[in-house]
Amino acid sequence: MRLVNNARRRRGWKSILLTTSFLFLFSACSSLAFAQDAPASTPDSDPTANQEVTVTDILKLKGRVLGEGSNARAVGQHKVASYRVEEVTLPRMQDVKIKGETRSVGKAFRLTIKGGPFPVRAMPAVIWLDETAIGYGIENEDLNEITVITYDESTLTEGATIYLSYGDKQNKEDRTALPEKLKLNGAKGGNQ
Amino acid sequence: MKTLRINHLIAFAFLMFLSVTAGVSPASAQTPDPGTTGPNAVTREEYNYGDSVFQPSGFPIAVEVRASIHYPTTLGNGPYPVIVFMHGRHATCYRNTTAALRWPCRSTEQPIPSFQGYDYIAQTLASNGYVVVSVSANGINAYDNNVNDLGMQARAELIQHHLGRLNTFNTTGATPFGTKFVGKLNLAKVGTMGHSRGGEGVVKHYVHNASLGSPYTIKAVLPLAPVDFNRPVVNNAALEVILPYCDGDVSDNQGVHFYDDARYNVAGDTGAKHTVQVMGANHNFYNTIWTPGMFPAGTADDWGYVTNGSTDGHCGTGTTSKRLTSAQQRGTGLAYLSAFMRAYVGGETQFLPILTGDAPPPASAQTTNLHVSYHAPSTATKRLDVNRLLTATNLTTNTLGGATTQSGLTPHDLCGGDSPQPQHCLPSTQSTSRQPHTVASARSTLRGLSQLRTGWGAFGSTYTNDLPLGARDVSGFQAVQFRVSVNFSDTRNASNIPQNFSIVLTDGAGATSNVRVGDVSGALFYPPGTVGPVPKVLLNTVRVPLTSFTGINLTDIRSVKFNFDQTGQGALLISDLAFASAP
Repeated sequence: MRLVNNARRRRGWKSILLTTSFLFLFSACSSLAFAQDAPASTPDSDPTANQEVTVTDILKLKGRVLGEGSNARAVGQHKVASYRVEEVTLPRMQDVKIKGETRSVGKAFRLTIKGGPFPVRAMPAVIWLDETAIGYGIENEDLNEITVITYDESTLTEGATIYLSYGDKQNKEDRTALPEKLKLNGAKGGNQ
Repeated sequence: MKTLRINHLIAFAFLMFLSVTAGVSPASAQTPDPGTTGPNAVTREEYNYGDSVFQPSGFPIAVEVRASIHYPTTLGNGPYPVIVFMHGRHATCYRNTTAALRWPCRSTEQPIPSFQGYDYIAQTLASNGYVVVSVSANGINAYDNNVNDLGMQARAELIQHHLGRLNTFNTTGATPFGTKFVGKLNLAKVGTMGHSRGGEGVVKHYVHNASLGSPYTIKAVLPLAPVDFNRPVVNNAALEVILPYCDGDVSDNQGVHFYDDARYNVAGDTGAKHTVQVMGANHNFYNTIWTPGMFPAGTADDWGYVTNGSTDGHCGTGTTSKRLTSAQQRGTGLAYLSAFMRAYVGGETQFLPILTGDAPPPASAQTTNLHVSYHAPSTATKRLDVNRLLTATNLTTNTLGGATTQSGLTPHDLCGGDSPQPQHCLPSTQSTSRQPHTVASARSTLRGLSQLRTGWGAFGSTYTNDLPLGARDVSGFQAVQFRVSVNFSDTRNASNIPQNFSIVLTDGAGATSNVRVGDVSGALFYPPGTVGPVPKVLLNTVRVPLTSFTGINLTDIRSVKFNFDQTGQGALLISDLAFASAP
């Protein structure tokens, strides 16, 4: 936005038109290039520009553990036990949408719920922190973990309740809360 | 003489009995059961080209090309119509009783053969002269949550790939079948059925095939207990969506969007649309491989996913619950899938009354506790829309341009459709999973079905649609119809008691004739259940034969009135008021 404003000041109306056209074309190209294997979109972080670093890639990358629970006994309807939060350094910067704004980021965060065995269902798992649906989860191969990826570290709130549900992200009715709250051990990462 | 007179009397009584029986349900008396085994012996084989041989575009891995094929053993009367099945999302590998989600499976594991779970339907269809191919989609299931559309494009491309293989079988022949199928497959008559995520998969495939110039002619598309994440739409082909009331996985029955979205999407749409709401049915029991007791790993009664679900009076596990056994549930799938495919792919139109609701469920369905909707093709002889109830204008002026009036109804507004309508029709205290028509889709921002939300508090409240000049001859149609659900969230409906009211047609001379809805339809039932996603409001079609209206001139009908004269109070959700005929 700052670039656009500078252009306005320097070049006047003609530049506004040129810039607007460019932005229009850019956004059109972005949606055309929307990768199949792309990070799952969430309400607050919609990484629509990520064609190169895919969800599959991010799930495989080595992460730095920011916080981890220790409860071993699965509880509740959805058999949740514990969690792990990891920071993942991306191999290259990625343009993602965070709270509606496009930002270039070098980190992703994996929030993983442990427990199960989780059923393989038609409706995707939804992972929540307090009242925010972080996004749709992805089961691991052995069905004892479900992971959601986010780029918005501000959603990782110390002390937040972690929930698992399935289906509609507007539906908070059938959520199962983890017995442990989110603890980050003071080690929050960095899409600054 | 006396004997002759007695014989005459007996004959007369017999004729009267026949005519009365026929009058009660003429369609049912003539409608055969589509789920019965046909005259052909059936052979089942499989083809398997490997676990990692087809790469869907943009998908993380290459997937398997494996399928079963059921066909009339002699292949004597081909080419046969082709039906393609695609299963839904499920665990992919197993060892003993442990399931896993990976692809390919480890050497110590076996693939879970979800594609074999519909053999019971394939067997029957093949015995009636169809070739049925059921596709394995484990590779997609293992990675579909990694991609933005949750695997739908990959599913579409995989189906198209199999159709390509079938085309090769049909033209030059190929391993493992040699020339056995050359000239035996009619790929201009194809039907597709997809279960769960496969349900959206077959809809997406219809769109994909069309985008390629329709190399294969898809006549009919059947999403079974489907998800609808991306909201693709089928137009100009027959559509039937089967919706299990006790679905514990796709518990919001969001697949009804396929029907709702298709209705007025394309002018002149030649495709008939149907839904079947199966009371007491869950998500998994349509597939034998997913059914407890029928496979060693990964099975579940998905209603168990619902918190406290076992206590529900309709869907739960108590002795008074109305759950179908897995065998009964397969019966509903067999009957309605067979009727649909045989009618629209095979041209066996004798089964249409089952789909329109003009005939009761056939014996093979093993239950009568189900409800259907029917949206007629958009042609002048098949459907005359009286009020589509899409915008606020339709509260005062109907789709024909006639006046729309009401008395004594409150609320009387539209809900569920595009803004500025409220997103949902029930109060915010009600879960969205109880509102299939308006529940949000995972990958689409489209809104849901625009519905008339109305209710009455005294006998004799009315809702009237006038027919303007030029739209008053309805004599060419079979029925006046609309979709409706009892709004359980409105306390004016007494719990567990069906509603009732009258439809009144008035002609140009002022003559009127009325029919009580409850006498011709079960759609005004009070939605059962109290736990989680039930009760739910799903609109079903009330279809009142015009032959039921007597003493009026059907070539000059001036109005259609809903007269709420049977109960003192109540509340309904309504859509799609039309005159219509069978396809």
